[in-house]
Amino acid sequence: MDNRILARFLLDLESFMKRPFSRREYLLFQSKAGLLLAAGASGFLLPSPLKALDVPDIGIAVGGPGPATRAAVDLLGGMKAFVKQGQSVVIKPNMSFTGGVDDATNTNPEVVRELVAMCNEAGASRVRVLDNPLRPSELCIESFREACSLFDDDVVHALTNKAFFREVSIPGAETLKKTEIMRDVLESDVLIAAPVAKSHGSTGVSLSMKGMMGLILNRTVMHWRYDLHTAIVDLCRVLQPRLVVIDGTRVLSSGGPGGPGTVLKENTVIASRDMVAADAQAVSMFTWYGQKMEPRQVKHIRIAHERGLGRMDIEHLTRKKIQV
Amino acid sequence: MTVLKIARIISLLLFFILLFYATFPLVSLIPVDIFLRLDPLIFAVTLSGSRTVIPLLLPAVIILLLTLVLGRFFCSAICPLGTTIDIADRMIPQGNPEHDPGKKRARTHLVRVKYLLLIFLLAAAASGISLILVFSPMALATRLYGTLIMPVFFLVAGGALDLIRPLTWEFDITTLAYASIDVPRFALTWVTVLVTGAILGCALIAPRFWCRYLCPAGAIFAVFSRRPLIRRTVSEGCTRCGLCQELCPMDAIGEDPRDTVYSECSGCRVCAGVCPERVISFPLRGRTGKKAAQEFSAGRRGLLAAAGAGISAGLIARTDLGYRTGTDEPGEVHHPALIRPPGAIPENEFLLRCVRCGICMKACPTNTLQPTWFEAGLAGMMSPVIRPRRGPCEPPCAVCGHVCPTGAIRTLNPEEKICAKVGTAYILRHKCLAWEFDQPCLICEEVCPYGAIELRTVDGIPVTVPFVDEKKCTGCGYCEYYCPVQAGSAVVVEPMDEIRLSLGSYCETARERGFIFDEKDGLVRLPEDGHRDTKIPESDGGLPPGFTE
Repeated sequence: MDNRILARFLLDLESFMKRPFSRREYLLFQSKAGLLLAAGASGFLLPSPLKALDVPDIGIAVGGPGPATRAAVDLLGGMKAFVKQGQSVVIKPNMSFTGGVDDATNTNPEVVRELVAMCNEAGASRVRVLDNPLRPSELCIESFREACSLFDDDVVHALTNKAFFREVSIPGAETLKKTEIMRDVLESDVLIAAPVAKSHGSTGVSLSMKGMMGLILNRTVMHWRYDLHTAIVDLCRVLQPRLVVIDGTRVLSSGGPGGPGTVLKENTVIASRDMVAADAQAVSMFTWYGQKMEPRQVKHIRIAHERGLGRMDIEHLTRKKIQV
Repeated sequence: MTVLKIARIISLLLFFILLFYATFPLVSLIPVDIFLRLDPLIFAVTLSGSRTVIPLLLPAVIILLLTLVLGRFFCSAICPLGTTIDIADRMIPQGNPEHDPGKKRARTHLVRVKYLLLIFLLAAAASGISLILVFSPMALATRLYGTLIMPVFFLVAGGALDLIRPLTWEFDITTLAYASIDVPRFALTWVTVLVTGAILGCALIAPRFWCRYLCPAGAIFAVFSRRPLIRRTVSEGCTRCGLCQELCPMDAIGEDPRDTVYSECSGCRVCAGVCPERVISFPLRGRTGKKAAQEFSAGRRGLLAAAGAGISAGLIARTDLGYRTGTDEPGEVHHPALIRPPGAIPENEFLLRCVRCGICMKACPTNTLQPTWFEAGLAGMMSPVIRPRRGPCEPPCAVCGHVCPTGAIRTLNPEEKICAKVGTAYILRHKCLAWEFDQPCLICEEVCPYGAIELRTVDGIPVTVPFVDEKKCTGCGYCEYYCPVQAGSAVVVEPMDEIRLSLGSYCETARERGFIFDEKDGLVRLPEDGHRDTKIPESDGGLPPGFTE
């Protein structure tokens, strides 16, 4: 097991010590600590991947949007490994732009639809597809609403109003000490990041980590008050998805995030539990402005790796790729 | 409840509903600006000012023809401002002024004021300035309800939604749980408060004070109802008790209660209702009183003075610094914040046509349309401008032109809307996070719907910096709206190179001037613009933007 769990535990501990807590939280915490100790004692916490056999750190599937999405998640053990019966799920795609699928500025609605379907199959009590879009919300989410209409009218929402956010402090943050996060996300059991793979003029790429900025109310402050890269990593300390599914069906290789730019047809979906690893995989496997780049060249990926949020050294991780 | 009361309630409700539906996307069976188009004052002043009959305003002519038959029925049955004044009259105690016949008589001469105002407004419009802003009853009502009362209503409704949200959330009433209301905010609300407050406050002096003495639209109706076909008639049996005289809201009953001043009578039938003898009726071609008493003529001298004042106002406006000759010569003072809505006709014509009703501002989905004060000179008070800091002008929306009752803002289809350039953005490098503070920001590039902002690498600056391609910029203001630099934005839209046409195609003009407006998100594209501009890396070996070594 990698040291992420330990890091997260310490993080929890830190925040836990700093605030008053209820009895219930205390018990929960104790049980977590107990589990961790037990895991450590049984050798489960060794820095090598000793998880269930055959489950790779990164699953990559090539094919049509829907099937590739399903296949990539199946490589990691299927949606049941992430969503338990009765749990509530928030899926965060990119739906900040009004463009069509070919513009590659938004996540492919078919990828999102497949994820919603899989969550439903896994027994999720409620699934929400949420983003805080830049352009008028109705125009942005139209295609997603359409794609998800077969489930429930109320799956897709664009939330921009302050009423839907709640301020939380970010323990262990270097710069972004607090921010307002979507209530839905805070109160749900599972967060799934489903970004489209695209370039970004100021952060190199916009993938799962950068995409978390779509779950907060005031993201412009991250640009001017703080160092953007550091602030992204800070934000990801509280917003760590349980599952990351990167839509590389089309990749906006240049001109991102808003386009227009070069769109590559890659027909690829990347899945991982580690947001840093997933992002690193996308950086290294696609071409950016006609060049091959390394994960460490994306500053927020590098910082996240250094701060133990996840791993960008994908060459040391297990990866599995299939064609569907 | 009389037919008239029902008509009045329906009319006010319809007014509210249409105003509520004046929004983007525009969906309404009845034109949402129909009330404004019924106002004969708007018709007359824009006719006098622009010297053209505006077809949009022909409904006002129909109302005038009906007035020949029904008298000032508009004032009692339709006018939402009149109904509002009635409500205020009921709520504000009047200290029984109507019981003092002396005071009432002393006010009779005020009746002429509305005619003088009418002449003044028409003369001013003819000489080049529209001063209708505080005089058109429909414009006043629209501004009062659309930009003052509705925002407050939204604020309260939004608060109520927030209040019940714990419940809707808990019980999964999703539509309510995720409902939220963006409250519009408007500049110069105090002007509307003062003007409408004064009008309604006149209830302290007399009921329907505005309608009786001041309303220039009422003056036009009065001219058309000197002897309407359906008119008040008092049959035998009147005891001259004077009750009708005392209670007539329009003060339209003469010294002898059997006489009626038809030009003042709104046909509200209050007199018929209160008459203890039940001798008052409103038949077709009823008997006129002895003298069609006190039929008022404004007086030649007064009319000439009003006309003179109006012409002078126009002349003064032409010597105002903000007055525009309509050319681009040096010496034209064009205020940099005076960004007009897309489709606004050339400035001077625009100001003569715009009646300051504020319906465009009410309808604007991003709340960017705001009233301006002196930026357009004396003649431009309360006219609409785009305030990008408040909101961007949304590319697929052209609702302002669709709701404009006078055509001051033209009705544009989506393609023409994109071409109706309102200004050009430019970057204040000394404020820009990228240029001045080496911060990787570039939000402007991200949000620009037209791909008009380009990021380039510049020697000595570690991050890529934004440049505006003025040939692609429509002035929509997305960049200025989202610019994270506090207070003044580091990217600013000014009305440079705006396209203002009273006739003809914006897209053709845009093409002639070499503009390439390509809505990158694919909602609207210029017809011949099939190709996709792929701005690939002229990476002179350098890194792609945003990456590090």
